[in-house]
Amino acid sequence: METKLIDHLFRYHSGKMVSVLTRIFGLSNLEIIEDAVQDTFLKASISWRKEQPENPEAWLTKAAKNRVLDIFRKLKSEQKLIPEIKAGFDSIATEELFLDAEIEDAQLRMIFTACHPKLDAKDQIVFALKTIAGFSTKEIASALLTKEETIKKRLLRAKKTIKTTNLAFKIPQGKELPERIDSVLNVIYLIFNEGFHSNKKEILVQKELCGEAIRLCKMLLKNKHTQIPESYALFALMCFHSARLDAKINTENELLDLKNQDRNKWSFPMIQLGNMMMNKAVETSQFSRYHYEAAIVVEHIKAPNFEQTDWNKILNYYKCLHKLQPSTSYLLTMAVVCLQSENYVKANYYFEQINPDDLAQRSYLFYGA
Amino acid sequence: MKQFMMIFIGEDYADLGLSPEEMQNRMGKWFAWSQKMDAAGIKHEGEALTSKIRRISGVERTAKDIASTELKEIVGGYYTVSAKDFDAVEEIAKDFPDYDLGSYVEIREVMVFDH
Repeated sequence: METKLIDHLFRYHSGKMVSVLTRIFGLSNLEIIEDAVQDTFLKASISWRKEQPENPEAWLTKAAKNRVLDIFRKLKSEQKLIPEIKAGFDSIATEELFLDAEIEDAQLRMIFTACHPKLDAKDQIVFALKTIAGFSTKEIASALLTKEETIKKRLLRAKKTIKTTNLAFKIPQGKELPERIDSVLNVIYLIFNEGFHSNKKEILVQKELCGEAIRLCKMLLKNKHTQIPESYALFALMCFHSARLDAKINTENELLDLKNQDRNKWSFPMIQLGNMMMNKAVETSQFSRYHYEAAIVVEHIKAPNFEQTDWNKILNYYKCLHKLQPSTSYLLTMAVVCLQSENYVKANYYFEQINPDDLAQRSYLFYGA
Repeated sequence: MKQFMMIFIGEDYADLGLSPEEMQNRMGKWFAWSQKMDAAGIKHEGEALTSKIRRISGVERTAKDIASTELKEIVGGYYTVSAKDFDAVEEIAKDFPDYDLGSYVEIREVMVFDH
């Protein structure tokens, strides 16, 4: 009787378990929680060798519940403070925290924790990948092209910051929320870009990152406080990009630029999903960078071939982006867009505004263009 | 047909710092392997062992607890299978999933006593 294991079941479950247990025991006990979760998977992976449970997910959830008592005992024996639990440990209350809606709530809290402005930007991504996405330090190192030692240091630093600043494990409310969602979206997009723009040959790891970013964004869309137009726009943008993921690589595993991609390889279900999300995203008068970036990708997708791309529209969107957040790389891009439509006078106009030094390592692009 | 034991030796899983994803992939391979043996009707039993080790030695019966982290090689578990000879078991053992972790399989024949 061959039953296929559910893809990524352990990884997805890891984020859920860590989040729920953190909600019960507080961020200060994160180490103990992570160990307990790791141990649960270890036991599962070994005991399932003999026989797989009928319902693997239910098995894992039950294991997580059992862990609550284990951790509780452990903390008691170490006489640690147990925050957020009143005297007389209430197992019924815990039971409720394992309902689907509550699990999602806990995960959202964890996302906001990971993307807290008090954490260093580099630590945010690493912490999110470890805690919410269940990546190992080795996997993160390989995905971000960084040494494993560096990743470990960043994780330690993030945990230290969380402890010293005594971060609350909650979804921000009121005025604080929009700003905080901004940084969450930013981290999600960074994770996605790490996957999408990687020049690595190991396409699988990179796809994992893109998938993870999309999954995190989906969590935002499920909660009424975080399902804002920007979230939809980012989701749409990632769908449009993902639709082209498989076409980026040729049979020799070489990266292809847009000009040479086989457009038949684009994933149309992904494009359709992106369109649906985009329709939700535009129900606002204020467009974000994600709106414009998604619109640009749509133009590329809409064009039957590279030559028929509507460069004018694309140029306009870049102008909007540049207005939102002036940057030299936008100027360079706009210049290149003008070159595509053979508008040399205008291209020059943008080139003249660029100081190659601002592009730092990318100045070769300037001279190349 | 004789009976053989395949003994799995290597670093303890818990000390390797595998990610949930890696554990799941590994589990899938173990699962496929044990199903393959079941399908062939050769597998008898198997057990996995936890990592705690207590060693008792000497005439004084001195007991010592050893942490798995101190040892690169501990017995993690075993399967017993029916097979014609060592070569046949070697073939079976090729599907053992953890060679890439530096673990290995030791094949031993189960002794049969005359009655």
